[in-house]
Formats: sequence, structure tokens, C-alpha cells
Amino acid sequence: MQSKILLEEDEMPKRWYNVQADLPSPLDPPLHPATKKLVTPDDLRVIFPMELIRQEMSPQRYIDIPEEVREILTLWRPSPLYRAKRLEKALKTPAKIYYKYEGVSPPGSHKPNTAVAQAYYNMKEGIERIATETGAGQWGSALAFATSQFGLGCTVYMVRSSYAQKPYRKIMMQVWGAECIPSPSTKTNAGRTILEKYPETSGSLGIAISEAVEDAATHENTNYSLGSVLNHVCLHQTVVGLEAKEQLAMVDSYPDMVIGCVGGGSNFAGISFPFAGDKLTGRRKDVEIVAVEPAACPTLTKGIYTYDYGDVAGLTPLLKMYTLGHDFIPAAIHAGGLRYHGDSPLVSRFVHDGVMRAVAYNQNEVFEAAKLFAQTEGIIIAPETAHAVKAVVDEAMKCRQTGEEKVILFNNSGHGHFDLSAYDIYLQGRLEDYEYPTDLIRDSLARLPKVS
Amino acid sequence: MMVNLGLLINPVAGMGGRVGLKGTDGLVQEALMRGASPGSLARTVRFLRALPSSDVLFLTCSGDMGEAAFIEAGYRRCRVVYRYSGESTAADTKEACRTFLREGVSLILFCGGDGTARDVLEGSGGRTPILGIPAGVKMYSGVFALTPESAAALVSEWNGQCREAEVLDVDEDAYRKGELRTRLYGFARVPAMQGMVQHSKDVFESSDEESAKADIAMFLAEVIMGTPKTLYLLGPGSTTLRIASAFGLEKSLLGFDAVMGGHLVGRDLDERAILALLEKTDHARIIVSPLGMQGAVLGRGTQQISPGVIRKVGVENVIVIATPQKLAGTPSLFVDTGDPALDRAFGGTIRVITGYHVARRRALLSPAEWAGSSLR
Ligand SMILES: Cc1ncc(COP(=O)(O)O)c(C=O)c1O
Repeated sequence: MQSKILLEEDEMPKRWYNVQADLPSPLDPPLHPATKKLVTPDDLRVIFPMELIRQEMSPQRYIDIPEEVREILTLWRPSPLYRAKRLEKALKTPAKIYYKYEGVSPPGSHKPNTAVAQAYYNMKEGIERIATETGAGQWGSALAFATSQFGLGCTVYMVRSSYAQKPYRKIMMQVWGAECIPSPSTKTNAGRTILEKYPETSGSLGIAISEAVEDAATHENTNYSLGSVLNHVCLHQTVVGLEAKEQLAMVDSYPDMVIGCVGGGSNFAGISFPFAGDKLTGRRKDVEIVAVEPAACPTLTKGIYTYDYGDVAGLTPLLKMYTLGHDFIPAAIHAGGLRYHGDSPLVSRFVHDGVMRAVAYNQNEVFEAAKLFAQTEGIIIAPETAHAVKAVVDEAMKCRQTGEEKVILFNNSGHGHFDLSAYDIYLQGRLEDYEYPTDLIRDSLARLPKVS
Repeated sequence: MMVNLGLLINPVAGMGGRVGLKGTDGLVQEALMRGASPGSLARTVRFLRALPSSDVLFLTCSGDMGEAAFIEAGYRRCRVVYRYSGESTAADTKEACRTFLREGVSLILFCGGDGTARDVLEGSGGRTPILGIPAGVKMYSGVFALTPESAAALVSEWNGQCREAEVLDVDEDAYRKGELRTRLYGFARVPAMQGMVQHSKDVFESSDEESAKADIAMFLAEVIMGTPKTLYLLGPGSTTLRIASAFGLEKSLLGFDAVMGGHLVGRDLDERAILALLEKTDHARIIVSPLGMQGAVLGRGTQQISPGVIRKVGVENVIVIATPQKLAGTPSLFVDTGDPALDRAFGGTIRVITGYHVARRRALLSPAEWAGSSLR
């Protein structure tokens, strides 16, 4: 039995798959943050290039990947599909576990799949600099890498707790030529406001987004780029699932279950949307799709499905999504990339419609699964990814009980080489399990996002 | 670093004098377990040897109540300020504390058990911080460090900040009726462990304990307001006191009070009164804070909350609250309701509300596991 299944470079997908084309009814559209009316492409032009705005709203099933983008993606794509034989053996499970390994990219995660495309479209429209936020530093380093490929400037607002916890991510960004600023910063109004109220804050993705959006909106030559959540980001990630489908077909297989961790939803969208499409169109009605999130930030499992802002300051359009409230500041768990109050509107819609389901786990059990993965498959995975692995382990153990030989596919979204301090804390038994007390919050009639 | 510390040892088994050690065999055995033991001298020596420097000046008592340990440990900087004769008694402990206060000590250390803690609290009046060096017996008060060595670490790293901690001891009334129960006798101030409260830069949980209490209280006050038909049994402690004061209510410090829809419907209730109230309500919740350092969530000093009460309320309706600072110094939590099946119904983990809209999940030990883990 092979350990990994590989595609040739010229077998890399030439088109992205747009799952919007297969929705039974269109997505609820984004609303303008101030007027609450439908957002127009012109509203978005201030911070996004036109082609990305088009992709965001496109009903077209397939969208061509520009040759210049494909050329850069071949630095690491097609990525390998592994059969997790050693993990299966350790679990004594009859399940067949496959994973797509996105840690082979230069920044070490799935994030450059969209960073390269976004940098390209911005370059095409004459933009000189891109501003963005980063949680764990994965996205910031991916965009720093991508902009360096096209000679663009890059400013990254990095959530303060990660800036301190993960200095190496910051250094990577600097090596690729980007400027990395701890957020909240005094560079923006949004940052200054938060700092006045909470000078000690560890920051959050929502705050950092506010800063990056403000930076882009107030500088002519600068655009904003988001590493997750939005439809065009999910679109660019579909190379992952499209390749996986090809690779599984090479061994005559198709997943019974597709699993991914969810922060804003992009890597999960990437691995799962091509399969969700099969489910929506009735080709494969039974494929089960599972999103995994942290119990400390349980957006899909405990949030409400409504319109909310994407950031703390309320500068972004209102998106229909599962949310814990845009002013929610999640506990400082080590999976920084999963600390986001909202979720991709597409993923949210699928969970709401029952096309996908979601589960949540605590940090310690997640790291335990990551350790098992490292000791069997060898790869030290990112704490974000470890959430997916925990769900895979649980599902595989269920198969052990039922004897089912389920084919489980998951996205191994990145390595954890810069997360070793989190592993260290776990190994020392000092990792706290944070939880969001949803039941009590509901009871308290506290303000949940109110948008009519 | 403070220079003047008081230190006293209770050299005799503590229980005897207080409750007379009568009753069934099982009771005697557990009662003995709870008293101070002859080990207290050796434990104090361990404490002194673990101190990183010997510049602290200790005020202490003569003979086995203190001085002997200093001689044994070869620790020179101590001055005997209290002398006793014959067998030392609870009265000596209290009088030694008063002497320490007159000498202006900033902290009173004592080695003994729960009974000693109670005497020290009484003798010191509750304002001067105290810290127990565990005498190697089972004890429940939150004023004890986990080991003599951790007491030494606490003392040497202390920056003067304090926390409140519970003082529990055998319930004498119950004991006379042949039952062995613990009762909450009061709150003492103990040194707060700064070094152990890490990650305090986060806004989701407050970095100082007073604001953490305020955050927890605000959250739960909002919960109480949002559920006007639920009866809340608020346990002892200053955080629950604050919850009640959000409604302008004056809560009893040591007892369980009942609050519904922002009104006080019962103060310092006993088990019967609680059961009577529960008869009249469909939904009730218990809000309790675990005992600091020792970690009992229920079953120590909460005799009102009997297994019957808990079953009526439902284990899922027990809301545990604790500041991150308290949790940092409390490595393991346990429930010991007296009914093992009910203890198990709580499951292997428990949620602790630690801030505004923030909770942590902690392992919950069985009383036996806890005893195994904490008899160091
Ligand atoms: C390795 C890794 N996996 C997953 C995520 C979560 O993001 P998303 O849900 O957009 O895939 C991140 C985000 O930083 C990440 O770095």
C-alpha cells in the first residue's frame, strides 16, 4: 500500500470550483455596514481589486486559474495525498484515513493557495501594497510570501498575543520583505480606540481586521486582503479538494467523510466544497462533511446564524453567518487561527442547511491527538489542524466499534514548527481548556449581534 | 520581601481537645486524619530548609510550638516572642497570634490542620494574612499551601497581594450527634500567588483578582436577571456576595442565600429550608466557588447542600465560579457530597466560570483520587 498519492505538475487543476453555482438558492448577500443596504461592487472597490469582487459574487461553476498563479503554485502543488496507515494501525481502526498535506508550501500551510491569487489580481490592477491581519501568523506569512513573488509591499497587523508567542512567524514575514505590526496598534483609529479601553489586551483577529481595513481604505495605493471567510478565498482553496478527488480516484476511492478544522472556514471549504458540490447535485448524497472548531470559540456549534460584522469595529460589510458576536474576544487558545467570532457565509449556510455538521473540542484533547499524529505519521501539525485530527481520531474509533471501513479524508492544513511553545505547554500539563458558556450567556439576555 | 513573619506550630493532634474523639471507629479514624500530627515539626523544618534565603526574620514560640524547628533546620534568624508551658492548647495558638500582631508581623505562618487554621483565624482577627504549612494530614481549608516547599516558594515570591480563603473545620454540633462534617467557619486572607497566575495580559479574563470577581459577578447577575423564574442558591464567598449586591441585596458571608428575580427569598438557609424552597420552584441553580488550594467544590463546609438538595436541583444546574487567580493555586477540583453515585454524576470534568462570558474546563477528581493526589 502506498504512503502517498502524487499528481504531476500538469495535473494541477486549471480551474477553481465555485460551489455557489450549485446552491439550491443564492446566498444571502452582504450588506453595507452603515446603510444596511445591499453592498455594491463599488462599495468594495475601495479595498478590493475588481476581479476578486467579481469572483465573490460569481454564479459561474468553474473559474480559470491564471497561468501566472498556477506557475507559482507549482512550487509546492499538487500537494501530496497521504494514506495515514500508521495512524490507522495505532488506532486499530478499519477506517481508511487519507489526508491532504498543505504544510509543504513555503509558508507551511494552505494559506498561500489564495494569497498568491489575491496578490496577482492586486498587482494586475496596479496596487502597490496590501494590508492584512494575521492571527497565528500563518496568513501573514503566506501573504508576505505571495506579495514578494509579485514585488508588492505588504503590511501585516498581527494579533498581539501571537506576535509575542510566535516571534518566528514575524521574522518569516520580514524575510519575505513585509512589515509586521502588533495589533492593536497606534497606527489606526480602530487600534487606538481598543488600546484606550483595554491597554492590556491580547488582541484578536476581529481587531486586527479593523486595522488592516482602515489602513487600506485610507491609502490610495493600498488594498486589503482577507485570508479566509470570503467566498473568493474559499474558491481559491478548492484546488485542495479538487486535487484530493483526483488522487482518491487514482486508488478508486471516494470519501464517506470529509473533515477539516474551521477558523474562518477556508481550508475546510477547500477540501470539502468539491465534495459538497457532489452532495448538492445528488451525485453523492451520503458524503458526510464535518467542520471542527475549538470549544473556546464555538462559532458553528454554539453561535447564531444571522447578519454580523466581520470585524470588531464594524467596518466590514455585514455577512450572513454563524457568529458569536463581532465584539466577542475569544480566549487565548493556542490555535490562534481558529479564534474568530464568525465564519465563512458559505460554510455557515451549509451547516445551517444540514449539508455539513460541526463539532467542537477542547485544547488538551486536541493536542493529545496531535501528539499521536506526530508519533505515527511523523508530521508535527499546527494546533489548528490538530482540531481536525482529533475529530478524525474520534470517527476512526467509532469505526473500530462498528467495524465500518469508512474512507475518511481530512485536510492537514499546516505544520506546527512555529507552534512548539504551545506543544511545550501541553507537554508540561499547563494547557488550560477554555470554554464559551453559551447556555448561561443565552440566559443572560446579553447583547447578541442585533441586525434587522 | 517582608522581614517580619510570625510562625507557630501546633505540635499535638488537634482533634482531641475539641471534640473528644468519641463516636464510631470510622469517625475516630477520619477525625485523627484531620488533626495536626507529630509530623508538624518535621514539616516546618522542611519549610524552613526550602526557603531560598535566610534573611527573613521569624518571630516564633518556644519549644515544640516553633523554636525547636528552627534549631533543627539550623535557621538562625528567629526570635521567641511567646512562651507556653505544659501541653500547648488552642488558647496558646490564639495568644501567640495576638503576640505576633502586637509585634507587627506581615504574615502568620502556622503548621497544623484545620483546627489550627481556625484558631489562627480567630487569634489574628482576619485582617493579617495567614498561610498554613500542611502538617501531612488531610485538611480542607483553603489557607494551606499544598506542600511545605510550595509554602516556602509562596513566602519568598510574595509581593503583598492577598486573596480570600476559606477556613473549614469539623462541625462540632454535628459531631456531637455522631456525624463528621466540615463547616465553613470564616474567611482568612492568604498570600496571592503572582507567579502562578500566568497569561494575565488577556482581556478575556481580568489580570487582577478584584476585577476578575467583578467580571464573574456581573456575568452571573445578568444570568439571574435573564432567568427571573429560576431560584438561585448563592454559596459563601465574596464573589457571590458581589452577585447579590448587584441587586442591592446583602448576602450572608458564610451561608447559602436564595435569590429569585433579583429578590432575596431566604438568608443563611439550612438544608430543610432549602428543600422547602425547592418544593415550590421548577428550576433552581446552585452557584458555588471551590475551596482555594484544596479544591472541594461541594461537600466541604457546604452541609446545607446535601445530596438530596443536589439531586433536586440537578448536577447540571451547579454553576462553579472561581477567579483565574484562585484556580491557578488550586491544582485539582473534587466533589464529595457523601454520595459516591452523585459524585460520579458530575462527570470527569467540570466547567468553571472564570470571567465575563469565559469559562474553563477542569478535571474533576473523585474524593479518593483527590486524597491520593493531595497527601504529599
Ligand atoms: C494551519 C492552519 N489551519 C487552519 C487555519 C484556519 O483558517 P481557515 O479556517 O481559514 O482555514 C489556519 C489559520 O490561521 C491555519 O494557520
